[in-house]
Amino acid sequence: MARNKLFWTAMIALLGVSAALPAGAQSFRVQCPNGTVLHHSSDVNNPYERIVSTVDNNHQIVNTIVGPDAAHANKQIKCQQISGGDGYATMADGQQVYLFAFGPLSGIQNITAGLPGTVPAAEFNGWLNGAAAPFSGPTFAGDRSVANNAGIKEPELIMNNGVLAGNAPGPMMAIDEDDEFFLTLSNVGMIMRPDLFEQHTVHFHGYPNASSYFDGVPDASVAINIAGSFTYYYTAPDAGTYFWHCHITPPEHLQMGMEGQLYVRPRQNRLAQGASLYGALAAYTASPAGSQPVGYPDVSFPPEDCTKDLLCTTPLPPSNTATRLETAATVLYAYNDGDGSTRYDAGADYPIQMMGFDPNFHFIGMTFNPEPFADMKDKYFLLSGRGYPDTIGGDHGVPGPVTTVDSDGLRRLSQPQPTLIQIHKGGPTQRALLRISNLSVTEYHTLATVGIPMTVIAFHARLLRDMSGNNLYYNTNSITIGGGESLDVILDATNVPAGTYFLYTTNLDHLSNDAENFGGMMTEIQVL
Amino acid sequence: MTYFTRKHLMWAGRAFASLTLLAVALWQPAAEAAVPGITGGTGGTATFSLVAQAVFISQPDGASVYSFGYGCAVAPAGYMPAKLGAGTSTIVNHCAIAQVPGPTLIVHEGDAVTVNLANLLPYGAPTTSIVFSGQQVTATGGVPGILVQDASAAAPVTYKFTASKPGTFEYHSGTRPELQVEMGLYGVLIVLPAQANVATCGAFVDNTTATHNGQPDYRLAASAYDHPQSCYDREYMFQLTEMDSNIHADVLTQVRACATTTCPEFVVKTDPYHPNYFLINGRSMPDDMDPSFAPQYPYQPYNGNPHMHPGETMLVREVAHGRIQHPLHIHGNHARILARDGNLLLSATDGTSFAGPLVFTYPTVSGQATDSLFGWTGKGLNWDIYNHANTVVLPGKSTLGNGDASPCYADANGSFTSASTPPAVPGVTANYGEWCLDHNRPIPITPPDPQIVANGLWYGGTPYLGVQKVYAGRPTFVSTPLPPGTSVQNPEAGYAFMWHSHDEREITTNDVFPGGMMMMLLIDPPTFVIDETL
Repeated sequence: MARNKLFWTAMIALLGVSAALPAGAQSFRVQCPNGTVLHHSSDVNNPYERIVSTVDNNHQIVNTIVGPDAAHANKQIKCQQISGGDGYATMADGQQVYLFAFGPLSGIQNITAGLPGTVPAAEFNGWLNGAAAPFSGPTFAGDRSVANNAGIKEPELIMNNGVLAGNAPGPMMAIDEDDEFFLTLSNVGMIMRPDLFEQHTVHFHGYPNASSYFDGVPDASVAINIAGSFTYYYTAPDAGTYFWHCHITPPEHLQMGMEGQLYVRPRQNRLAQGASLYGALAAYTASPAGSQPVGYPDVSFPPEDCTKDLLCTTPLPPSNTATRLETAATVLYAYNDGDGSTRYDAGADYPIQMMGFDPNFHFIGMTFNPEPFADMKDKYFLLSGRGYPDTIGGDHGVPGPVTTVDSDGLRRLSQPQPTLIQIHKGGPTQRALLRISNLSVTEYHTLATVGIPMTVIAFHARLLRDMSGNNLYYNTNSITIGGGESLDVILDATNVPAGTYFLYTTNLDHLSNDAENFGGMMTEIQVL
Repeated sequence: MTYFTRKHLMWAGRAFASLTLLAVALWQPAAEAAVPGITGGTGGTATFSLVAQAVFISQPDGASVYSFGYGCAVAPAGYMPAKLGAGTSTIVNHCAIAQVPGPTLIVHEGDAVTVNLANLLPYGAPTTSIVFSGQQVTATGGVPGILVQDASAAAPVTYKFTASKPGTFEYHSGTRPELQVEMGLYGVLIVLPAQANVATCGAFVDNTTATHNGQPDYRLAASAYDHPQSCYDREYMFQLTEMDSNIHADVLTQVRACATTTCPEFVVKTDPYHPNYFLINGRSMPDDMDPSFAPQYPYQPYNGNPHMHPGETMLVREVAHGRIQHPLHIHGNHARILARDGNLLLSATDGTSFAGPLVFTYPTVSGQATDSLFGWTGKGLNWDIYNHANTVVLPGKSTLGNGDASPCYADANGSFTSASTPPAVPGVTANYGEWCLDHNRPIPITPPDPQIVANGLWYGGTPYLGVQKVYAGRPTFVSTPLPPGTSVQNPEAGYAFMWHSHDEREITTNDVFPGGMMMMLLIDPPTFVIDETL
């Protein structure tokens, strides 16, 4: 395996860092156990990964990790690895902008297809559909091999696939309620800014009952240096649309592109066809304390008591007869609604992140000048990293990922996510779910539709329902949220004729790609 | 007494985490927040005598910004909460001659409120006034204004209203508000509920020896509203505003240019608007985390430095006075919105259940006051944040973990509280607030080598909540201790959660990061005494 020039360039850039480290310091380390105390592997003799510690003759503690193999991994353990570094993106007017950015180091096949890069531990650890499937993909940037979804664990491959490979937004993450999620961030350095020795972190924004250790705020925890890995650990007790971003110098790192999408799917999705939605939620809510909760399959977390807990997420709705309409292959739910009101056609969920780039700030970020925060003014208004018409397309109008030629002359994936919304009139519910978040660091944004009404079902990753169980959904033609907010919208095409509709900002000056007075924060809704 | 003050900001590097250690060495821990305010007497009436006048306020980049503030013409009748004490502050009875924000006026539901306002502003502001949002006000004296009756230099005005419903209400100048509110003429009126709610919230008394849950009590009342579910354990208020320092400089220039008493009215361009300071309670980070009434900010007495314990309920009074919205993101957990502008949000069907949304970012709508309840337990993390698993007492040795041998007995909600059975074990300090399902569960990942990470100023040295004791000979991962001699901002090793504007450019102070609209919420270990006394 040939080490390419980029690898060596990066390693030389990192010499200054590694030289400062004492002998014995670790570097990249990717953690993804196949079994845990909460979710045992199928290997009864080796149920979970654990540390066995002994004391050697020098009275030093020696820790050895033992655990089950990927073939026996528990399906409720999910893993992902991302790089923290830099890269370039292509705006809809053809302009390239420099990014501080996160890139995929696992789930690359899914990411390239615009999907979440989160995969079960088995697949991450090189096992898929009963066969060995260790990482295969680019051994160095630009070798044009097609990657699978396994995690990259060798330091050399982490550098080769991480340097300059940042995306806007960063790799998408999606987990299911009751999962455990092991997210490894490997800091590959920002090769265009060798003057910076910046750490990066991951903040799970809006996540309930966070521990400050995994909250990603560098001031309240630790932040990983260049050439090191930090594994974040999260459970998934509450469904909803969240998002994530770097928390180092937020006005700089977020403006420069270090943000991504994150959502948690509800346990209601796991009910069998024909099951009572209300019955399941009622049984779950009434699960006796201290015993294994019932109601849904594979539940790992006990219910809240909505009669006492003011922060309770899911009050029981009025008694109803709604059942699981179809299988999970055709109909899914946004929340554990207990009444079917958040249903949508499987495949018709669209994470949409509102973003803004100030090209002046990005140029300054690539160079070595003091940064103007108060005068920050976005000129590119983006949905998931792209301005219209790229929101519905890809390279040169071809649907798919947008790639960008980086400063080393190699073309890399830069903006993998289109936001073209499609609703099929022949679908079982004719409904689509929009998971909308705003990560602009400067402005509130409004998104509106024409011809197809929006129903807001959730705000800040929480079902809109009062504590006596009444849905507080509302119909609207526009939604407005600021940076650091999210909401969920259902588009129902039942009474809408086939055709092309638009989702666009009514902050009309944001319908532009810098000087190009066309485009910006807009995408199409195709009712087919 | 030295504090973490303005000049340290100038040393701040690219990352907040790299704030110089020197700044830390000068710092000393103090909580001192709550919701301090002044009272207007007893017996169903409340009278406040306020003045509006100019002062310079201090910002952490070293700037002194010319501002207007409301203050006390005479010493107020009293202050709340009594537990705060008078302290060593130079500010007599909790009210400055002029302050930004204006004094927090605390009254009781049903009180007949009188507010006298005198205008001592520079002659370029011939009149000023107060608009009390959500109140039915009658005015006497003064001169006619546009929104309300104004006070001129010669003619003070008197406003009267009945505080008919409890809640948090903002007040601001109604005279040239685009200029005078920008200059600092704003504040908050708090109306405490009439219902004691003793049955659900327990008894409440406001005195210097009050305790609540075995800790000093700094609440203004037992509940936020008359609603029996609106009990809380702690409360804090955050007033969010922004400043364009050019406007303030223009006003100051015109004040200095006129030496007579017949000055022309200020002619100041308030648009286009380029705010460069973003304030919580009149201060920018890190000044906002210094104590309330800290002597270095004589005209910005209120801070933003919330503390609480796991399992407690915190009432957050969040108020916006500025002209733009600031999405205030709260790390740690969601909050339940109780009310907006004193209007409880209740279910349309039963009329009693709360119906406000759960939020992780306050929308901070201009002119709006929002009351919400916030809580944090660590529930569902699937690891023991107290590190009980490593609590092994060895004969003649120190202990592992946090040294806390407390078991966890779940109450009906799954947490260890005084309602658990048994509530405690004799001789062992109960670790109340713990989510029992996670008791003894190990941390599921191996933390990185402490040599390849950067430690934050609020990092307690381990992933765990509370100070950890390390027995060196034990072959078990316990912690990633901070380098010897390192000082941290939270020596109690609480969990720190940043609360900040998510229009991230607003966490800067005149182009310097870090700064602006940012503060830290500290979730302190259960046994740590949160002392807000001045």
